Amino acid sequence: MFACIHAPQAAALADSFSPHVEMIDETTAVFSITQRQLAQIPESLQIAVAATVETAILAARNLPGYTFIAPGDEPRLLGHLPIEVAITSTLPPDPELFQTFDLWGIRSLSDLAKLPDEGLADRLGPRGLSLQKLARGVLSRPLRPLLPEPVYEESAEFDHPIEQREPLLFLLGRFLYDLTAKLRAQSLSCGTLHITLGPHTRALGLPFPTRDIKFLLKLIEHSLERHPPTQAIERVVLRIDPVQPRRVQHDLFTLAAPEPEKLELTLGKIRALVGDGNVLYPQLRDTHRPGAGLNDAPALAFRYFRPPLEARVDPQPGKLLWTRQFQGRILNIAGPWRSSGDWWHCDPWDRDEWDLLLSDGALYRLVQNHLARQWLVEGTYD
Amino acid sequence: MLSALPLGWRFSEQPELLQDFPRGRISEITGPRSSGRTTLLHSLLTASTTRGECAALLDTSDAFDPCSAAAAGVRLDKLLWVRCRSNAEHALRAADLLLHAGGFGVIALDLLEAPASSLNRIPPTAWFRFRRAIEPTPTVLLVLSDRFLTKSCAAKRVTLDRMTPGRRGPSFAGQHPFQTLRTAS
Repeated sequence: MFACIHAPQAAALADSFSPHVEMIDETTAVFSITQRQLAQIPESLQIAVAATVETAILAARNLPGYTFIAPGDEPRLLGHLPIEVAITSTLPPDPELFQTFDLWGIRSLSDLAKLPDEGLADRLGPRGLSLQKLARGVLSRPLRPLLPEPVYEESAEFDHPIEQREPLLFLLGRFLYDLTAKLRAQSLSCGTLHITLGPHTRALGLPFPTRDIKFLLKLIEHSLERHPPTQAIERVVLRIDPVQPRRVQHDLFTLAAPEPEKLELTLGKIRALVGDGNVLYPQLRDTHRPGAGLNDAPALAFRYFRPPLEARVDPQPGKLLWTRQFQGRILNIAGPWRSSGDWWHCDPWDRDEWDLLLSDGALYRLVQNHLARQWLVEGTYD
Repeated sequence: MLSALPLGWRFSEQPELLQDFPRGRISEITGPRSSGRTTLLHSLLTASTTRGECAALLDTSDAFDPCSAAAAGVRLDKLLWVRCRSNAEHALRAADLLLHAGGFGVIALDLLEAPASSLNRIPPTAWFRFRRAIEPTPTVLLVLSDRFLTKSCAAKRVTLDRMTPGRRGPSFAGQHPFQTLRTAS
């Protein structure tokens, strides 16, 4: 059975009966009710109990006081209601339909209930049939309770602050065990880990969804190694952003690739070694800026000197080129290739480039930076 | 074994190029500046990544140019670039980690232009360790250096040399020595 309360404080009243409440509007709440709870219903309220959700809503909105509609009793109790109240909670009201009923001389729900099904379906379609079922009290649908968004979070506060990593990892491992069990129950996986250690929160984005506790704990360990907490920890919060689990289709012709879990742990170790920003998948931008986009890429492989070498040079054949690392006579030179851009940004460029063959036998790229008024050897063709 | 590049070997024949470098072995490429070491590396990375394999570049002197690599056909989304900021020790450690992670088609350890003091500190046992680690895998470990470092651990060694300006070659074609460097002025 379903009960519907139509009152200003409907939500609070419904919550006292059941945790699963569907709010139709601010003053109408529907919930499932047991036989034993029927006795607890306050009769002073506008409330209805019926076999279906829609019948309970219809009765609560239109009948005063407490109404109990036993199955089969709907036509008797609801039949006298005017046709205008036949509005379901799932379909928007259709004024044209009510005009048609008016033309047909249908004034009450009992009039609509008596119409033949097939003829009504032919003329008004499924919408008309739904309203007829409502008038007969047999329009049924499941309850759609508004459940609160589950929060996957565990926290702990300590009387004595934690200073070592091992007890912290032990605790985080226990949190992960509980949280991944909750995720598994909902068929979800972990997308991002948010770890609050004292006043600071760090977010660990995972490259793929997983519930592997050992893997997650290793990731946290690497993160703590790279960025250890600056002070003893009095409070730990671990929150997980849930995502849909990973689905992988294997086949016989897929080339061997690094296992994602293993690769992520390996990259974590390498990042700890060389720094976070030094492990990357290079990407080109849609720009003419030298060294950033695919435009004007040289035909030969190029190697950069990072940072570029400051040079003293007169870009003419036979003249000397001097840098901190090497010197030589220019045997041949080509250029300049002029480029400039981004003058509308804070980081413009304006430069001339030469390719030169030095007496040491190597090919270099010489750059005159007009903005910094510098001569630079940017790299070598190799 | 010192194997010279055959004359007329064209880097554009990429699928065949990778077959010349044995899998599960160390291969070493040496040569002076502008001898085509990086062009050969890009060609090998292109051959590997266009097959759909993952590749890794351990860039000791932070010299990698993604633009020219992409222009050579390297699929950058398949290339892991580790910038080691002139620290050869970090590059070796990262190579060791990647070898043990497995699954890579090519791992390139670029030690070109690395400080000599840093290279001298590499223990010879490191190469034996790499040789043992790579043996059961289908990975090509490429070592690029200014001089031979891997001693007897390399299964293939390639020495590149510059061509004299004016002779026909990949760097200097035709009368103008720079016409292959730039496609447009």
